[in-house]
Amino acid sequence: MRRLALVIALASGLFLPVTGSAQDGETSLFGSLQTVFFNQKSRLTYGKLQPWGGTEYREERSTFAVQQFDIFLQKPIGESFNAFVDLEYQLNYASDRRWGSLSLQEAWLNYTPMDELSLKVGMLYPAFNNLNEIKNRLALLPYIFRPGPYERLLRDVFLSEDYLPEQAFIQLYGAIPHGDVFWDYAFYVGNASASYISRRGEDGLPENDLNRNFEFLTGVDPTEFNMKLFGGRLGIRAREESFKAGVSLTHDYDNLRDTTRFPPIYDGIRTPLIGDAARVRIGADCSGSIGDVRFESEVIRVLYDHGPAEDRDIELDQLFYYTMLGYSFTDRLFLYGSFQAGRDIFDVTSRHRTITAGAAYRLSDDITAKAQYIVYQNELEHGSHVDELMIRFVFLGFSIVL
Amino acid sequence: MNQLFRISALLAFLAVGVFQAQAQTVVIVNASVPSSTFSVEEVMDVYTLNKTHWDNGARVTVFDLKEGQAKRAFYEYIGMTEDDLQRIWLRKQFTGRARPPHSLSNETELVERVGKTPGGIGYASESAVRGKKNVRIIARLKGAP
Repeated sequence: MRRLALVIALASGLFLPVTGSAQDGETSLFGSLQTVFFNQKSRLTYGKLQPWGGTEYREERSTFAVQQFDIFLQKPIGESFNAFVDLEYQLNYASDRRWGSLSLQEAWLNYTPMDELSLKVGMLYPAFNNLNEIKNRLALLPYIFRPGPYERLLRDVFLSEDYLPEQAFIQLYGAIPHGDVFWDYAFYVGNASASYISRRGEDGLPENDLNRNFEFLTGVDPTEFNMKLFGGRLGIRAREESFKAGVSLTHDYDNLRDTTRFPPIYDGIRTPLIGDAARVRIGADCSGSIGDVRFESEVIRVLYDHGPAEDRDIELDQLFYYTMLGYSFTDRLFLYGSFQAGRDIFDVTSRHRTITAGAAYRLSDDITAKAQYIVYQNELEHGSHVDELMIRFVFLGFSIVL
Repeated sequence: MNQLFRISALLAFLAVGVFQAQAQTVVIVNASVPSSTFSVEEVMDVYTLNKTHWDNGARVTVFDLKEGQAKRAFYEYIGMTEDDLQRIWLRKQFTGRARPPHSLSNETELVERVGKTPGGIGYASESAVRGKKNVRIIARLKGAP
């Protein structure tokens, strides 16, 4: 473990010396790992409401996977600075076999001159609802399969970035004590959507750029400042942290120039919409515990303002919400049920619902066994023609704090 | 003989009670910490890692005990369970907001570490603190044995 830590520290060039158990002023290394087995049974029905009952296709698959492995490095610098890095490996990552992925999720420097005010600069998860800042901290969550937009396995289904501000670069935040509560606030700014970031295609030419004539850097956001992400969250939190609630708001643009993000089936309908769609995300969250009962809820509404879509009467708005209710039967065993649903309308109305039941059993302070049963249902309405996708998952796994 | 045994048992029971009554738990800070008294809410803010800096801008370093009577009394004093605090600490650690407290095995070591760490805070039995330099008592636990 120490050797791994040293290699990572040398690679990052930032954090020396590294210690597993941190002393003040030294870099601490810790992490989390979630390894899973899951079985998936899918049923796809074309023309569900047709007199003949539609056409059905069924499939079953199972897999073992290292769902996610995160390495965190943290270093307090002086009295007011703090640096933090999160490296993430996903899905049986193997570079030589081109499986999974390795990514830098967060890398920032925090300045806290006083408890009521902090400034974070670098690549960071911005404050949005309850889960966004901890969406990849699986050891903190009872779930194996996170609520829709937060679940990396569903990234292609939900296009997470439509619902969530995934990364920001400057965040001013703090908590102001007032009686029995804290008032939380956070304001941030970041790049435009990741789909704007310039990159080169196989032909060596820049892809998805606003103006190829001026492109000479890849991996940067070429948009003007008014197209950046602006957002914030205002919240209230019980002083002993048994309850928190808040509202969140962001403004940015959705890159409808980038057709590579969507399956070819959308090309026809998207072609006249190509451009930059102004997007506002509105979120509300509420979570906490009363005795042994824990609850968690979020709503996300995404509103678009895009002339070409309005001209053609195409609605781009999206909705997602979820709620979880659980009970700690003992210090170790937590059982929960959750419901999530949402809708988006593009060329077809898509409605999805997910019901889950799960258990988290703490084997020790650092190891939690998890199980989750999930029923995911997605209906696509094309007028009177309805297609339905139904997937049942059974997940078993371990979450480990390293 | 039987009566003698009963009297001895009663005396032993009373002695334990008196000893426990004297094991007052106190909250201590390093002598460099500017404030002299703390409310229970302020101590809770420190242990929930919501207060990470003292009034003079120095970083707070929190010490905790792995187990024992002083720990039970202290957690009762701030109105938190071990599970509550573990969950809060893990969230703050994993989001990079704060480091979890240093968890120590015995009170003597804790008092020593608080005394040697500028900005340090911890708790222990008053008897373990008596006569120690560089530490200051900022709260006595009301209602604690």
